[in-house]
Amino acid sequence: MELERSDRALRDLYARWLDRATKAGFAIAALAFLIYVSGAVPAVVPLAELPRYWDMPVSRFIAATGAPQGWAWLRLLGFGDVLNLGAVALLALVTPACYARLLPALVAERDWLQAALAAAQLVVLAAAASGLLAAPA
Amino acid sequence: MDPAALPWWIWPIALFAVSFAIGIVAVLAGVGGGVLFVPIVGSLFPFHLDFVRGAGLMFALAGTLAAGPPLLRSGFASLRLVMPLALVGSIASFAGALVGLALATELLQTLLGALIIAIAVLIWRTRSADRADVEADALGALLGLQGEYLDPAAGVRIDWRTHRTLLGLGAFTAIGFVGGIFGLGAGFANVPALNLLMAAPLKVAVGSSGLLISVINSSAVWVYLQRGALLPLIVVPAILGVMLGSRIGARLLGTMPAATVRRLVIIVMLLAGLRALTRGLGVWS
Repeated sequence: MELERSDRALRDLYARWLDRATKAGFAIAALAFLIYVSGAVPAVVPLAELPRYWDMPVSRFIAATGAPQGWAWLRLLGFGDVLNLGAVALLALVTPACYARLLPALVAERDWLQAALAAAQLVVLAAAASGLLAAPA
Repeated sequence: MDPAALPWWIWPIALFAVSFAIGIVAVLAGVGGGVLFVPIVGSLFPFHLDFVRGAGLMFALAGTLAAGPPLLRSGFASLRLVMPLALVGSIASFAGALVGLALATELLQTLLGALIIAIAVLIWRTRSADRADVEADALGALLGLQGEYLDPAAGVRIDWRTHRTLLGLGAFTAIGFVGGIFGLGAGFANVPALNLLMAAPLKVAVGSSGLLISVINSSAVWVYLQRGALLPLIVVPAILGVMLGSRIGARLLGTMPAATVRRLVIIVMLLAGLRALTRGLGVWS
């Protein structure tokens, strides 16, 4: 019974953070997309030229367009297409944010095994996001 | 007609419409949308498969992020069940995404076609099973893989626990790897693995599968982002379309004949799988 009550509290905490972060992420993604397609800001690859490149494998696409790889997009957020990558990255950060909020709650409950699992998951997500293992050659 | 001759704005509108329709149908048929999105968009749209797979991961991620809060609050999604499985799944999915981006397009198309046809057969053949007499194994007991939920249809509280934890961890390693390669959410495999292999009740399996996808895909999607394989013009209409479609689908859930929709999904998957297969083999490009 005690375990179930604690589980429910953790689920509610995760759900609350997931709900808020996801809604914010989607709103930002929709806004960024409107800015992009309206042409309000320039794009690294102009929309009218994109059909010439989007049937290429990603390696050829990058070589032909000079689109950013790795973390280079962070320096180009003033461009409409790259701004949208930032919005997509925010959505990919929703789960780590929820886990990061869950971890201190698990530690406070002295649920060491679940806390270790949450910490390990955060390490995996951080490693994936860092690009250390996935960065292009 | 040469697709390149069409104005660029046709494609995001068409993609939004297709994603919206997939969002509705996926909820009604009880399958993850990614398994429809990648073969359909990969076959019918002019985008390279690298970008379609990246968008497929985001498509599945967006749908499951949006569905997560109500599933958690109802108890259908179990954090205790998800956390160990998501950990191995996300490591494997990350590795799968790296492998997927290193494979030749024709080989990927061929494998994708074969996989989608196999999944259609799996969905057609799979029957669910709810078992209440399961004894937890030692690892499952250690991880606390148990819980309870209120079944709204029966009005009773259901206690559940799982077994075969090691096999389950192995299954989610394999599922995560395949999902990472092909940009699929892999709900088609998560639910049978949780329900038939680990004996989680079907509702817990379906709810936890969504949460699992949201964690697992959060890892693989960074590979596509770092490699430049996410095209916003594909990704954003797809995620906005599936979000809206999923909500409509959830509202239609009680009124539409689910068995008919499920049969329709199987037929669409077989056709899309055949198209990907013939394209990969160079028979029909």
